[in-house]
Amino acid sequence: MKYLAAIGIAALAGLLVVLVMGGDPGSALGTFLWSSLGSLNGLSQTLNKTCPLLLGGLAVGLALRAGFFNIGVDGQIYAGAIVATGLALGAGGLPAVLLLPAVLVLGGLGGAALAVVPGVLRARWSVNEIFVTVMLNFVAAFLAEYLTTGPWNDPMAGEAISRLVPEGARLPMISERSGAHGGIVLALAFVLVVWLLLERTTWGFEVRALGSNPRASRVAGVRQARLTVTVFAMSGALAGLAGAVEVSALHQRLILGLTPGYGIMALLIAVLGKSRPPGVLVAALGMATLLVGSDSLQRSVNLPASAALVFQALIVLSVLFAEARRPAARGTA
Amino acid sequence: MTLLLDVEIFRLMLIMAAPLVIAALGELLMERSGVLNVGIEGMMAVAAVVAFLTALRTGAVAAGLGAGMAAGALLASVLVYYAATLRASQLTVGLSLFVLGTGLASLVYRAVIGVTMSTPTVETLRAVPLPGLAGLPVLGPIVFSQNLLVYLAVLLVPAVSLLLFRTTVGLRLRASGENPRALDTVGVSVGALRWGAAVGGGLLIGLAGAYLPLVVTGTYSDGIVGGRGWIALMIVIFGRWSPGWALVGAVLFAYTEALQFKLALVTKAVPPQFLQMLPYLVAIVVLVRVYRGAEPPRALGVPYERESRV
Amino acid sequence: MGASVRLRMEDVTKRFGDFLALDGVTFEVGVGELHALLGENGAGKTTLMNVLSGLYRADSGRIWLDGQHVEIASPRDAVRRRIGMVHQHFELIPALTGLENVVVGRETSRWWFRRDREAGAVEALARRFGFTVALDVPVGALSVADQQKVEILKAIVRGVDVLILDEPTTVLTPQESDHLLATVRAMADEGLAVVFISHRIREVLEHCDRVTVMRGGRVAGSLAIAEATEAGLVELMIGERLARLESAGPRPAGEAIALRVEGLTVAGRGAVPAVRNAGFSVGRGEIVGIAGVAGNGQQELCEAIVGLRPAAGRVELDGRNVTGARVGARLDRGLLYIPEDRMADGILPTLSVAENLVLGLHRHVFTGRLGYDPGRAVAMAAAPIAEYRIAPPSPTAIAGLLSGGNIQKILIARALARGARTGTALLLAHNPSRGLDIRTTTFVRRCLVEASRAGAGVLLVSSDLDELLQIADRILVMFHGALVADLSAEAFDPYRIGRLMAGGEGG
Repeated sequence: MKYLAAIGIAALAGLLVVLVMGGDPGSALGTFLWSSLGSLNGLSQTLNKTCPLLLGGLAVGLALRAGFFNIGVDGQIYAGAIVATGLALGAGGLPAVLLLPAVLVLGGLGGAALAVVPGVLRARWSVNEIFVTVMLNFVAAFLAEYLTTGPWNDPMAGEAISRLVPEGARLPMISERSGAHGGIVLALAFVLVVWLLLERTTWGFEVRALGSNPRASRVAGVRQARLTVTVFAMSGALAGLAGAVEVSALHQRLILGLTPGYGIMALLIAVLGKSRPPGVLVAALGMATLLVGSDSLQRSVNLPASAALVFQALIVLSVLFAEARRPAARGTA
Repeated sequence: MTLLLDVEIFRLMLIMAAPLVIAALGELLMERSGVLNVGIEGMMAVAAVVAFLTALRTGAVAAGLGAGMAAGALLASVLVYYAATLRASQLTVGLSLFVLGTGLASLVYRAVIGVTMSTPTVETLRAVPLPGLAGLPVLGPIVFSQNLLVYLAVLLVPAVSLLLFRTTVGLRLRASGENPRALDTVGVSVGALRWGAAVGGGLLIGLAGAYLPLVVTGTYSDGIVGGRGWIALMIVIFGRWSPGWALVGAVLFAYTEALQFKLALVTKAVPPQFLQMLPYLVAIVVLVRVYRGAEPPRALGVPYERESRV
Repeated sequence: MGASVRLRMEDVTKRFGDFLALDGVTFEVGVGELHALLGENGAGKTTLMNVLSGLYRADSGRIWLDGQHVEIASPRDAVRRRIGMVHQHFELIPALTGLENVVVGRETSRWWFRRDREAGAVEALARRFGFTVALDVPVGALSVADQQKVEILKAIVRGVDVLILDEPTTVLTPQESDHLLATVRAMADEGLAVVFISHRIREVLEHCDRVTVMRGGRVAGSLAIAEATEAGLVELMIGERLARLESAGPRPAGEAIALRVEGLTVAGRGAVPAVRNAGFSVGRGEIVGIAGVAGNGQQELCEAIVGLRPAAGRVELDGRNVTGARVGARLDRGLLYIPEDRMADGILPTLSVAENLVLGLHRHVFTGRLGYDPGRAVAMAAAPIAEYRIAPPSPTAIAGLLSGGNIQKILIARALARGARTGTALLLAHNPSRGLDIRTTTFVRRCLVEASRAGAGVLLVSSDLDELLQIADRILVMFHGALVADLSAEAFDPYRIGRLMAGGEGG
């Protein structure tokens, strides 16, 4: 199967890189697999990483089903994280049963709010969202930088790190010992939610119709503008939720570098997963494994984190290559 | 406010506009031939690191520029291979190249330089004041005392214009972006045109990437491209796919960037991050205003397949 | 008719995936002969000529030119062999001028492109065959007939011995067609072998020397025009005698007005409006046709009525003012729309047949925000698939892979199903039989007639005058965005309508 071939190519490339960096490929592979899947700690880390990748992948995938390219997930993650942190720091006195859900929900709304900007621009003026979402990534990152170095800064923690969020706003852990947090549960739940939305609601039907042929959908009476905005909002909400979870569950604070390019990885995850929730789940798990594995290699073989991006891109390119080799079917180019 | 019209700002503006113009012209050639390249940002990143490292090793800026151009052409060839030969989704390939380029640039830098205490630097390209003209008031220091690449960027605009609108190759290139089948039916190779445009465009995009470490900063860091690849993409649309207007767009954006630098130095009232946001927000606003009525080449982004049944 | 054979295509076969488009076709054209290639849509005529012009490669078969065996592997080879083709859908570049379009690919200089050098030969050629056309205007701004002239110049400027014309008269008025055919006759008289692809029997009988009929990818017959009859050709084309479509007959004069349009004006590109002050009405039970050459504002008119395009003026459906209402609201009030471009505006290509059938209905069937049930959609698809004989009869088949005719059936089924739920006031169809074979075309027209018999008003916008003459009660003519005439059945005169379509006087 072509996907296995694609992964094989990336794996070979990875081993090649290890060689170049002066390491031993055999032990590198061992470290890689052990650190990501073989130990309880490693598995926990992988699950933790899966959470933002999965939510991000669902976000991008949902937008893609409708025919839109949401390249702004990084920015939306920041937006969600910012709102979540702001609420947590400001309303810390509330009991956890109120504060935690509020933090998560409002985090989602924060991401949605940022994503609605390109959505409205697309709906009203047909402005292509690729550029707008990318620009907003920068804007949101700068805002996060300002907040973490300025008003929310925790002087004892470091330069671009905010104060700790109160206990009530922290998502419970699955296992205190291994460090796996509850975000993965949320993310998995949303795999089901997004699937249901797309396949079992009239909204989802219209989203799929829009992605198949926006003009024909409009001609049949689908309210394209309204649908565009809601799709972007939903997509942004998923990303915003990811940001809120990172703050609430993983770091317990807002930090600069909260997302080391999860949004970009989410893009590739959505493409590999064919924008369908089950596929996205598998791809996200795969990517998380890749990240955690290469993280540990980073320490042992001096492999930088950016290598993971390279591998992911190579996988996608290999898949595209494999898919393009299909014989010309009866159909248009 | 006289601050807005400060001579230093205009000088800086042209320095910052040059890479944008060059990258935009490269993208323009590709898009005019019908191939959409959204991976400019990644290509510029790779070109930047390759150029920097080459200049570091050889001590020659020219070698660095050349290496950067080659890197750009190579990545653009990958894109056009997927787009024209494999007929894959140009957006997906472009985005993959964006990711690949960004990751690869960082990887290569670390692989070669490793972790060091001090950041390596190279000498940046010097300014070459034009004899006589450099002495003019106002225009002298702004326009005529720039480095060679700025002059090149400005000259490229009429050159590309001439190429597109007055030569046979340009005519065929434009046809390829509008209706490739029309070209095919008269026996002209659409693939060859698109490859040619991609290599040419890639050379320019690579040059723009190389410009950043070799002219502006003298060092390399992750994020040196800072969204300029995306801005170049927007400039092509702003310029309605014409070289002259692309220059205007580049200059406008560079002005905001230069302004923001100056403001950051001058005022302490506004936190620097908000100033840094400014160019990006302005870019969005400009794009929105310009988007209406922008007519791309008709075949842009559509893979050409001869035997497709219409 | 020339005694020597210029072109011979022997035993040509071509497959696209599982679909056998050409099955052992043998075809010959003589020097100076005007040879018609007749057949309904999908019979393989264009495919055969695409093989000749190098756009497609045949799977097997040989081609001879003037007795020599030749290989045509690409359009470039065809051009070198002096084979020229004027395509049905023009292969022109709207943003470039006529001259640039004609000359691209054979410019006199590798480097600099200079207008004066290139124009001489082209202008001389145009004069020789009696056309005039503006060469320095972007082709997108030319009329369809002028665009066709550019397309013809493009095909012959390189020097041709074989000229192929693919359905050239479909987009022309009757007068323009006559002029074109006279020009083509002149070319044949000069020794050119001309292949004239058409599905219009009368035209073929009037102007050509020989005719070859294709059906289902095979040659059904080849004869001299002198031996051919209309009925005989139809029988060869469809393999059976087809009953003529009964006209609807006189209808009860109803009072109710299904659609009323007043002062409708739609902006076009630039300063000139696409639709100017259109005003007319369609009664319930009436079939009103709008005739006109494509590109005179028909698309904009349809879109304005449906609500896809902003327009000034007033639109009333069943007496109720729907001006400014959004598309969904108009559809819910009983406006049914079958768009011209079924691929771009009609079908959802990546979704299934069942999903396509339920599009538009979905909010009525799956009530509330939730509750889309794919099983139910599949079950609901069974009836229309059977009734309209959609092939393949599978509700889960991917719609984009179906043939044009079946896609059109889906669109009609969907529109009528919606009408059944909301009540049909007006059925608006734009070129509904475009590109369809005879059987499906007859089916489509029958659907329109039945809709009118059931009490709906029908507005049929069509570039095919024959279609309108066959079923309309009244015909309006559209020219440059304005409605220039309103003729009722007794006054139907094709030549008069043709003059009106070209902007002339109706007298």
